[in-house]
Amino acid sequence: MSIPTELINRYPWLPSLKKHYFEMASRSPSIFISEVFSKDFGSDLKERLLDLFEAAFDNLEEISDYKSDKLNVYVYLLLNIFLYALDNQLITNRLANLYSKITYNELTKENNDANLYNICQDLGLKIRYYEPPINYGVNIVKDHHQKLETNFTIHFIDYLRLASNLRDEYRKLVHNSLLEGYVFIQNKRLIRLIQEYVRNRLLIKETEDKASLKAFLSDVSEIKDFKEIIDKILNAWTERKEEFEYTFKIDFESKEELLTLYPPCVKEILKKTQEGQNLIHNERLFIVWFLLALEYPVEKVVDLFSTMPDFDREKTTYQVNFAKKKKYIPYKCLTLKSLNLCFAANYKDKLCLEGYGSVEPSERKKLAHPLSYTRIKQYRASKEEYYKNKEVDEVNE
Amino acid sequence: MSDISYLKRLFRTYYKEKRSEIPTVSSFGHREFGYIPWDKKIIMKRHMSFKSQDSITKHLGNEGPRHVYSSGALYTQPEIPDMDGKGYQGCDFIVDIDVDHFYTPCKEDHDFWYCKECGKSGLGMVHKCPKCGKSKIKTSAWICEKCLDTAKREIIKLIYDFLVPDFGISISQMRIAFSGHRGYHLKIENDQIRNLPSNERREIADYISGENISLEILGLQEKSGTIYSFSGDTYGWAKKIIRKTYEILKKPNSEIQELLSEKEKFNFNKNYIKSFLNSKQDFIDKIDNNKYFILPSIEGFGMTNWRKFFTGIVHEVGVEIDTPVTIDIHRLIRYPGSLHGKTGFKVQEIFPDELDDFNPLDEVNEKLDPIVFESKVQTTQKLEVLDAQVPATKIKGKTYGPYTKGEIIEVPHHIAIFLLCKEVVKTI
Ligand code: SF4
Ligand SMILES: [Zn+2]
Ligand SMILES: [Zn+2]
Repeated sequence: MSIPTELINRYPWLPSLKKHYFEMASRSPSIFISEVFSKDFGSDLKERLLDLFEAAFDNLEEISDYKSDKLNVYVYLLLNIFLYALDNQLITNRLANLYSKITYNELTKENNDANLYNICQDLGLKIRYYEPPINYGVNIVKDHHQKLETNFTIHFIDYLRLASNLRDEYRKLVHNSLLEGYVFIQNKRLIRLIQEYVRNRLLIKETEDKASLKAFLSDVSEIKDFKEIIDKILNAWTERKEEFEYTFKIDFESKEELLTLYPPCVKEILKKTQEGQNLIHNERLFIVWFLLALEYPVEKVVDLFSTMPDFDREKTTYQVNFAKKKKYIPYKCLTLKSLNLCFAANYKDKLCLEGYGSVEPSERKKLAHPLSYTRIKQYRASKEEYYKNKEVDEVNE
Repeated sequence: MSDISYLKRLFRTYYKEKRSEIPTVSSFGHREFGYIPWDKKIIMKRHMSFKSQDSITKHLGNEGPRHVYSSGALYTQPEIPDMDGKGYQGCDFIVDIDVDHFYTPCKEDHDFWYCKECGKSGLGMVHKCPKCGKSKIKTSAWICEKCLDTAKREIIKLIYDFLVPDFGISISQMRIAFSGHRGYHLKIENDQIRNLPSNERREIADYISGENISLEILGLQEKSGTIYSFSGDTYGWAKKIIRKTYEILKKPNSEIQELLSEKEKFNFNKNYIKSFLNSKQDFIDKIDNNKYFILPSIEGFGMTNWRKFFTGIVHEVGVEIDTPVTIDIHRLIRYPGSLHGKTGFKVQEIFPDELDDFNPLDEVNEKLDPIVFESKVQTTQKLEVLDAQVPATKIKGKTYGPYTKGEIIEVPHHIAIFLLCKEVVKTI
């Protein structure tokens, strides 16, 4: 079944884009850019593109006069090209967050099951549609219960692929209704999964192939419009960038050895904040409690969040101060594992995976808490230091 | 000849004679193989690959290893020692159900533990020494019909309460095997599932086991003094919990009492059980009339006790799986048809419809019999007992032991091999 072109205009990240706008989507980027800006809608395009970047840098979650006409397709293709050209993880994350959020709002606003179904089909998601909706449970709302109904179910493999990154407790498979391989899902949550799909789609990792990026850049920087836009974006970025970047310069990059003291679960979150990726609630709580437990100053902890798309310094400072007063204890490994926040395996971390203590595998103690990780590493480091000094002493004698 | 080389020779003979009967695994050329030889120091040789079934059985015939494994994962180059260089292509979904990892009451009769720190020893299952609190525990786990039956029931539960109805996985994609010791493995061979990364496998593992479930999210909550429970006309876990609760409520009082007082599960004291039983009929009526959404008021039952009760129910419903095995995509598992070096029993593949009647320690169907060293002519062997206490072993309907250290015993060939593999006796 072919998807209406009108849907593609509104949701240009759909895979069928290539079929509907074959010529446009398969053109080489530099030709595409030079042609597109010379058209009569060129200046309109420029404006829309810059609006997107501005809004993203301002942490907005919406664009007031967002239009989903045919130009939207150009905007989307250009957005991809500019993100590639900028090659900056922080900017990419910002834009991916904003753009996917816009998608969520658009889909929610139109509230059209047929479109939602077609979109899922186009994305290759295995879904089923029920008419009339099926009843799959009950929910309590203020002392009375409400039937849970939905028209949609989604295959558990697709569900896991899109939902496992979101990590909210209620999205865990075990808390959902499952029948014959399909998860009952309400429209709103299904749209949230599509938002995640869109976000991932824009998140091209920083390019490894710097040579072809360079070649591309020298190619397109000849194009006047391209240069003009890039310059404007970069200007806007430098104005705000300090707020995002300075903290890491001081704390994490200059004191790199500090990082070796942190367990993978902490490193992973720090990495995310550095890249400006959004943190889920549990990640925020954990990192705050962890750093506070190590007696990190409050402002430094707050700075860490300055890259978040929804950063609010005042609010964050209040929350961190509150956590400090309450002296919360950070999650233990078992909890982190159940929240899918343990990254011992990804980092192949010996201490996390094999434990500590004796060399005899059966007598080793298992690591139970990320704070112990840091203490053990500190202890080991101090021991090494001690022996180093001792050696020096002995040589001197 | 030492006992070790004796066993090694027996294993080699087995692999030579049964060469044509050893089953194969799918995608054979893409699997990594590993084995543990009969050396004193237990080191696994990994990262091997074989071109064909023929070449591996030949290899087994020459080496007669103590344990043989193949990977759940598929690789383009399984023989490359570095995991990142192997060319990972996906992994079967593997579930391991092993009595070692969960409680059964009969462990109090046949499992010994010994504390390496303070020397205390005892029967049953402990994680920490009750005397000194250290966890340097050495256990000697025994085989037992009851335990194996429990494990088998867990596998059946896994298939018919979870994999088929909830996940829609077809039985033809499952391969099941008795592990040759205290459990069963189940493998799902399905292209889509093969591609799941580890964290998504954990989600499935949690669903199957009920681990990390939040009763609150499923509906258990207190609002202005009223305690609400789950909805049974739904699907998924809420329904499972209510169904199980009902099933338990329908049991005779004596059975409910026993269950609710079980330490490892509900662990309720007498008074609570009494008031629970007093309100039993009320609870049943509520479920019958579909009115259980507000829980019956039972004396002494606030959120704490209800949470405790339903946590116990979750435990009853969930399958006792060894989660680390399921989420580890590079794990090796026992090769079907190979011998388990701690028992001398065969890793026996079984079809789901054969499970009900399957009895590994006394199997009537010769083709499914894991006890391969039973000789047609009754030969016996003389042995000296080395371990302080050797629990009784019931195999093929006959019980041998218990034995104590220094005893000289004479047992049939297949029992002798079992005891030798267990390293609790020596030949004399
Ligand atoms: S094992 Fe513990 S400390 Fe290590 S990464 Fe996992 S949760 Fe963090
Ligand atoms: Zn002890
Ligand atoms: Zn037992």
